This record gives sequence, structure tokens and C-alpha cells, in this order.
Amino acid sequence: MGNAGAANIVIAGAGPLADSLRAAAIVVERPTTVVVARIATAAKPFDELTDADFDDAWEQPMREAIESFQQAHRARHERLIALVPTVGMSGAAGLAHVAATAEAVRVMVKSAARQWGADGMTVNCIALAPELFDIDPAAVGAVSLAPLALAGKGSVVDDIVPLIRMVASADAHHITGATLNADGGLWMTS
Amino acid sequence: MSEANAVTSGRLAGRTAIVTGAGQGVGEGIARRLAAEGANVVVAARRADTGEPVAAAIRGSGGSAMCIETDVSSRESVEACVSSTVEQFGSLQIMVHNAFRGGIPHRLEEADIDKHWNHMSRTGVWAVMYCGQAAWPHLRSSGATGRFIILTSPSGIEGSANIPLYSPVKAAERAMAKSLAREWGPSGVTVNCIGPVASSPALVTAFERTPALKGAIEARTPLGRVGDPEADIGSVALFLASDDAAFVTGQTVICDGGSFLGL
Repeated sequence: MGNAGAANIVIAGAGPLADSLRAAAIVVERPTTVVVARIATAAKPFDELTDADFDDAWEQPMREAIESFQQAHRARHERLIALVPTVGMSGAAGLAHVAATAEAVRVMVKSAARQWGADGMTVNCIALAPELFDIDPAAVGAVSLAPLALAGKGSVVDDIVPLIRMVASADAHHITGATLNADGGLWMTS
Repeated sequence: MSEANAVTSGRLAGRTAIVTGAGQGVGEGIARRLAAEGANVVVAARRADTGEPVAAAIRGSGGSAMCIETDVSSRESVEACVSSTVEQFGSLQIMVHNAFRGGIPHRLEEADIDKHWNHMSRTGVWAVMYCGQAAWPHLRSSGATGRFIILTSPSGIEGSANIPLYSPVKAAERAMAKSLAREWGPSGVTVNCIGPVASSPALVTAFERTPALKGAIEARTPLGRVGDPEADIGSVALFLASDDAAFVTGQTVICDGGSFLGL
């Protein structure tokens, strides 16, 4: 699932967001892997979740994320950037299985950052609006008293790609283990 | 264990709690503390030879307790535990998921799914689903006294350089607690996490494996010691289980002597 179009960046992951990033043909300063977490999109009451639901929403996406992290390290990339929805930080009714994976990937970033800093690798997270992962905002519901500070979910090309370029730049060499929220101000409490 | 249960006020009288992993360590401390406040306590332990002595000790102190062998990584086993509990005591107000098969130190780039991930995922995150689902009908019936308490870790917030795959498991538990707090809030049921650093068999083993670890933890802990499972962690669980915490939900109470001071 790598991005053959740009030699110094790999976009790991499937789905529309990953496809959009590949299509953007991002060029970055430092060799970079972007891991787009596989996030289930269907809301379901917690008491109705089956083992199959949970395997699809939690177990398999986490195994894929672990493998993608390991591949980035094997490739000796200097930057690993994980993309997750902010729903992992906020929680959401009907999305416990989704929030689990989002938050697990976000915190795995911190573990990786602690271990791989000595290997010359920074590991960071960009947390995005749930809509960018095709999660229905109505399912997320009201997670904050405050209105969305900025309108919209953000544009992959205009808003997200520049962030990836910044984190993948030489200037960001001392940033690791961080979460950069880019969800239009939906969640401000990380 | 301390003598924290010497003075009690019966704050949980008439209520029933299941504590998973209560055969030792933090789970045992929580079970003893809740029982000392009048709760009927089910010591849900993977092996009766560890759980039954704890239940017997509680009964010996005048409390109400029974041991049920429970494998939290099995849906059927958790459901059977809850069914037996309700059959025995008539209701269930408090589910505490503490059981966890801990990780072993590893390098993330070398981590093996079978060796370093499966058991933590199963006894941590999957078990939250099984415990929550099995308990939910009874917690909902209990309304404002319904409690789901999940034992997580400061590592679920700050990551871990020692056991990197431990952190995402504990982070996932927190995210599920927040989500369930939102989902179950209208029923009055609260869902919270405790992030303890306390003396437990797992921590003792870690100290044996890495002798410098104890001193390192104490050095970075403002209160200068590792917590006591009953006096320090059990008391926080008691608060969250009690009516005093009826308006607290979706939170993680870090109970580690101030070692972790992040957001």
C-alpha cells in the first residue's frame, strides 16, 4: 500500500483519505512514512457490538498499524506521522470501538517516539476531523459546548498536506511524540 | 494490604460489585475496600486458588464475598460470572475491570503479535467490551448507582519506552470509557478509569527484572513511594463507586503519588 509516486514518502493505509494523500504526490524534506489509521465508520450501540465488529474495528486495524510502524522503522525513515480522528480523545456515544483504535494509535506514537528518537526518527500524530475518516459527524454528536471554531472538516490538499510537509521538514527535527490537532477546533483538550 | 478497612461507614451497603483480577494486587485491594464498605463482592479470578483465599479473608472480616473463576478474555466466561453474581446477590451495581495479563519489555520494531500483543489486547480491550456488555443490563437497572470502573495506566496517556505496546492497549481503554460515559450517561450510569501505580505481583516482578526501576519510580514520584493497593487505590475505587462520585464520569483518575503530572 506504499506510494510509488514519491520516493521519499510512503502513505500506508487504505481508504479515501489515504488515496487522497497518495494522489497529492506530496514531496517532503525528510524520508517519511504517513500511517493513515484504518478507522471503522459505522456507529453501533456498545451492547450490540459483536466479536466480528470488534475484530474489524479494533484488532485488525491495530495489527495493521503496528506493522506499518515497524515497516517505517525498517525503512529507516526519519519521520513517522500517524493520522487519526479526534474521536479517540473526545470519545463518542456509539463509537467506543472506533475511539479505541484512534486513541491507541495516537498513544502508540508516543511509545515509538520514546524508543526511536535515539534512532534518529521522530514520531508524531496529526488528529483530524472525524469526517475526514468518513465518520458521520452526527454520530460523533456534541463533544464540546463550544461551536466548531473553524468551519468545515478541512481540505486534504489545502490543510492537511501542508501539515505533513511541516512535520516532515528539517525544521521539525525536535518535535516528537506530539499530537497536532487539525480538526477545525472541535476538540481542544489534548 | 493495609488496615484501611478498619473504619467503615457502609457506603456501599446493599450493593454488589464484581472485581476482575481480584485474586491479587490492585484487584484484591479494591475488592477488600469495597467489601469493607458493605458491598457484596465477587472476586473474579482466573484461578480459584488465588481468588478463594481473598473471598475467604473478606468473609472472615465480616464481609460478603464469593469467588468466581473467570477468564476475562472469554465472552462466555464473563457472562457466566455476571449471571452467577446476579443469581447469588440479586443485582449488580458495580463492575470493576482490573484483570490484565501484563506485557514484557520489547522493542517496538521487533514486537511479535503473538508474543507481545495478543494477551494484552484480549485481557485489556476485548475484556472491557465483554465486562461492559455483560454488566450493562444490570447497571442500567441500577440507574444512578450503576458504575463501570476500568483500571488503566498513566502509560495509556504518556506512552511507554519499556513496553511500547502496553500503552495503546491502555489508551484504548480510556477512549472506550469516555465513549461509554457519553453513551450511558442518560441512564445515570458512570464510567471512569483509574490509572494506578501500586504494589502488585506484576510490579514486584518488574522490580526483580529491573532492580533500578523501583528507585527510578520513587525518585520521580513527589510522594516518594509506590501506592498501596487497598489504602491508596481501593480508596479511589470506593469514591468512584460511591454516591459521592455520581457526577463524575468519563474521567481517568491517575493515582500514582504524582509521578505523572501531564494533562
